[in-house]
Amino acid sequence: MKRADKIIGKVVLGFAAVCLSGAIGVLSVKAAPGIPQGFDSEGEKIFNRYNETPLAAMTGTDGQRNLNEYYELRQYPGSPPRIPHQVAPSFSEDAQNCLACHESGGYDAELNAYAPVTPHPENVLCYQCHVPKRTDKLFVGSDWESINPPRLGQSQLAGSPPPIPHSLQLREDCIACHTGPAAVAEIRVEHASRGNCRQCHVPMVANEPPVKAFKRN
Amino acid sequence: MKLNRRTFIKSAAASSAVATAASIFPGISFADWQKQEGGSGTISWQKAPCRFCGTGCGVLVGVSGNRAVAVKGDPKCSVNKGLCCVKGYHSVQALYGKDRLLKAKVRKGSKMVEVPISEALDVIAAKMKETIKKHGKDSVAMYGSGQWTIPDGYVASKLFKGCIGTNNVEANARLCMASAVTGFMTSFGSDEPMGCYEDIEHADVFVTWGNNMAEMHPVLFSRMLASRKRKKDVTIIDFATRTTRTSQAADKSILFKPNTDLAVANAICYEIIHNKWVNWDFVNKHTTFHKGKTNIGYGTEDHFKFTDAPENISFDEYKKFLDDYTPEKVERISGVSAKDIKYMASLYGDPKKKCTSFWCMGMNQHVRGTWINNLVYNIHLLTGKISTPGNSPFSLTGQPSACGTVREVGTLTHKLPYGVVMNAKAREKAAKIWDVPVANIDPKPTYHTVEMFRALDRGDIRFMWIQVTNPMITMPNLNRYRNGALKDDRFVVVSDVYPTPTTDVADVILPAAMWIEQEGMFGNSERRTQHFGEIVPPPGEAMSDTWQIIEVARRLGFKKQFPWSKKDYIGKIWEEYRRFHDNAKHNMAPYTVLLERSGVQWPFVNGKETRWRFNSEHDPACKPGSGFDFYGKPDGKAWIWARPYEPAAESPDNEYNFWLNTGRVIEHWHTGSMTRRVPILHAAMPESYVEINPEDAMDLGVVDGEKVKIISRRGSVTMKASINGRGVPPRGQVFVPFFDEDYKINEVTLDAFCPISKQPDYKKCAVRLEKA
Repeated sequence: MKRADKIIGKVVLGFAAVCLSGAIGVLSVKAAPGIPQGFDSEGEKIFNRYNETPLAAMTGTDGQRNLNEYYELRQYPGSPPRIPHQVAPSFSEDAQNCLACHESGGYDAELNAYAPVTPHPENVLCYQCHVPKRTDKLFVGSDWESINPPRLGQSQLAGSPPPIPHSLQLREDCIACHTGPAAVAEIRVEHASRGNCRQCHVPMVANEPPVKAFKRN
Repeated sequence: MKLNRRTFIKSAAASSAVATAASIFPGISFADWQKQEGGSGTISWQKAPCRFCGTGCGVLVGVSGNRAVAVKGDPKCSVNKGLCCVKGYHSVQALYGKDRLLKAKVRKGSKMVEVPISEALDVIAAKMKETIKKHGKDSVAMYGSGQWTIPDGYVASKLFKGCIGTNNVEANARLCMASAVTGFMTSFGSDEPMGCYEDIEHADVFVTWGNNMAEMHPVLFSRMLASRKRKKDVTIIDFATRTTRTSQAADKSILFKPNTDLAVANAICYEIIHNKWVNWDFVNKHTTFHKGKTNIGYGTEDHFKFTDAPENISFDEYKKFLDDYTPEKVERISGVSAKDIKYMASLYGDPKKKCTSFWCMGMNQHVRGTWINNLVYNIHLLTGKISTPGNSPFSLTGQPSACGTVREVGTLTHKLPYGVVMNAKAREKAAKIWDVPVANIDPKPTYHTVEMFRALDRGDIRFMWIQVTNPMITMPNLNRYRNGALKDDRFVVVSDVYPTPTTDVADVILPAAMWIEQEGMFGNSERRTQHFGEIVPPPGEAMSDTWQIIEVARRLGFKKQFPWSKKDYIGKIWEEYRRFHDNAKHNMAPYTVLLERSGVQWPFVNGKETRWRFNSEHDPACKPGSGFDFYGKPDGKAWIWARPYEPAAESPDNEYNFWLNTGRVIEHWHTGSMTRRVPILHAAMPESYVEINPEDAMDLGVVDGEKVKIISRRGSVTMKASINGRGVPPRGQVFVPFFDEDYKINEVTLDAFCPISKQPDYKKCAVRLEKA
């Protein structure tokens, strides 16, 4: 299955790279007058991204990133990942340098990889949350423990669409992470050509704490 | 629970899902992760303010069992609206360094010996009694922190000022906020910003005065960038002494020579007056003009004293004073082109533009810190751009409760929770609430921070209790003060969460509960009080700083003043403290309201928060219909000050030919005792460095990463050069982050301070460089 992905990926990706270069502008939220922006967990983002992402970019994968690597860049599920590649020593240039690759994705010859797409390109001060790694040595040891990453495939019935196992905050844009050549193999959807993700997939944990358990009197 | 058929199937399905997931993705071990039992579905989220800077972001701490396991930005908190910075997202990891202090230690001979905490508290109380008996009550002192919770600072003040009867309660916020306070007091007669963070969405022009917000207040800086992106015609000017990430994001970067911001601010006012941009309606109704003493010294000598003598002046005298500050004259002093000065003045002067100025340590850690605060207020007062949405001179804070605990509770040696010790009415009020004889409260203020450590060195102070701060990294001219603390017959108690260079000089170490391991409140830069509960239990024998003080107070015989039970002491203390601020100018929210909300702004009057003070539309303490009412001053008028340019205490000369500037980086917070124990932050910024201008580096013959010795008249440090790194100083200046205890840059800095605020200037002293 993984092999097949790789072959299809290679065929499709050359084309995807061409399509993607500069294809997407800033994802703007266009709400009607009087309608507050950002309602429904910024649900509009999904449709904007859907409209602007070429089909080929949604269906291919290079299979290079897997869930293990994905979590190794994070301290706990949902934490901002560190930067796994070289950045300029100052890492203080224009934020556009990050977004040049990570806003829309595309192939990077130097790293021989497709750039993952950020689900929140509207936040331009990238280094506010994302930092590179310059040493493997710790200052002192740590007793930090993380929770388990959310389990995959938590369908309630055989074959039913799995719910969304993570918080939507800053990760409202499903298509950015779950489709495209840089998508993590295990979480890439096989039906990327459909755009209304939350028609079938609903959040598993309410994103507004604290949640009281429902109790019928 | 009755296990009926349906729940049984559900739990069977859940456990088989684990097995299924494992079989679908064989080989995935997440080897780097030390994992907790239980999945992410079982964690609960609880609100707290972030532990680190004064921005006061709301965070949601994910808790699994009795451990903090994750962080999200709190979407309900208006400060950060769900976004944190890299420190905030990983803040909970700072609880879990392997070397957490779990037990109390007492010095026995040359060794620190672990003892039960009750025994250590006995030792502290006995030593305090003995010291007071031998050397008088002013020989014992408490040195606290802008990271103290509000109850921490409150009980410290009550014990020392109310019960023991010494004003020796001082806090490290003297090192970061004192000039902001004296700036507010001299210009407005009332401390803390009139505006709020919402100004960011309203402003058209931002000027960051010596303030690298992109790294130090990144969440607010992001709000600024987002506002610029959303609206057209938002201009950000970075006015600074070195080029930083903030300069790169700004529309324009303007560099000035150290200390000459005084001259530039005056030149901007000169331009505003000579181009007829003065808002006369506002100035006539709401301001008066004043001057004070000049050539006021630098405080580098022991027992330095200074008292300002304000005089009224007329507008014409003020205007004449500004004749020394034409843009052309100031260009020669400051290195800022007359054109750039005129440009900045034109932005402030444009009646159609709403202007917000931000500053933090650049203006506060300044030998004329009070003056430069006054001068920036002048700009906003002359143009009437103040106390309205988007028009905001905004003094940011560096510590999570510099405002809440130090400035509002008044944990400085001249302050009480309400008013100053010199004021008889304030003493009476305190004595009444504290249930102590009014004679207990000494009307004479004692030492400010630098003088307090000098007193420890001299022997005037023999006992010092240090909580939640690391002065053996942060004191300027550090060698003198460390040697002082180590002298015989000095007794130092340190309450902390990790071993630091300050616990190294301690005679007793108390393990402290950290942040969300205790209940408490912080107060952020925009007058917002933020409550947090005990979300996870403290490890070992660690105890909240508040409770440590209560335990010692009871051992000293003050049971009546410290009657609370461990169950509800924080709420009780809060309600007692709140009585000090029982007026429309400063009313604080009740405990029950704090529990519910992600922070509440004071003045909290009739159930409503006040976003813009001194503006009668928003602030119920103003005279109705007055428009503006600067009620901190008896006549309701703000003061415009004639304050001249004077040079720094120590400027480069032929022998010591470089300026040394110090500060922070985004990854680390202050001395790094917490953030360096967060793996991702340490990995991103493992050690400190010295930024050198590329041309200076070439002259010196060093390339990036080579070692350079930085030498001042007080000490030296050898560290790696950073060339075209995070920031780039202009020629003749170097910059060193102070977080790294392996490179104690404060052994090099100078203990000169602003004579009015007594806040040291960490940004300017003279050094020379050698290739090491």
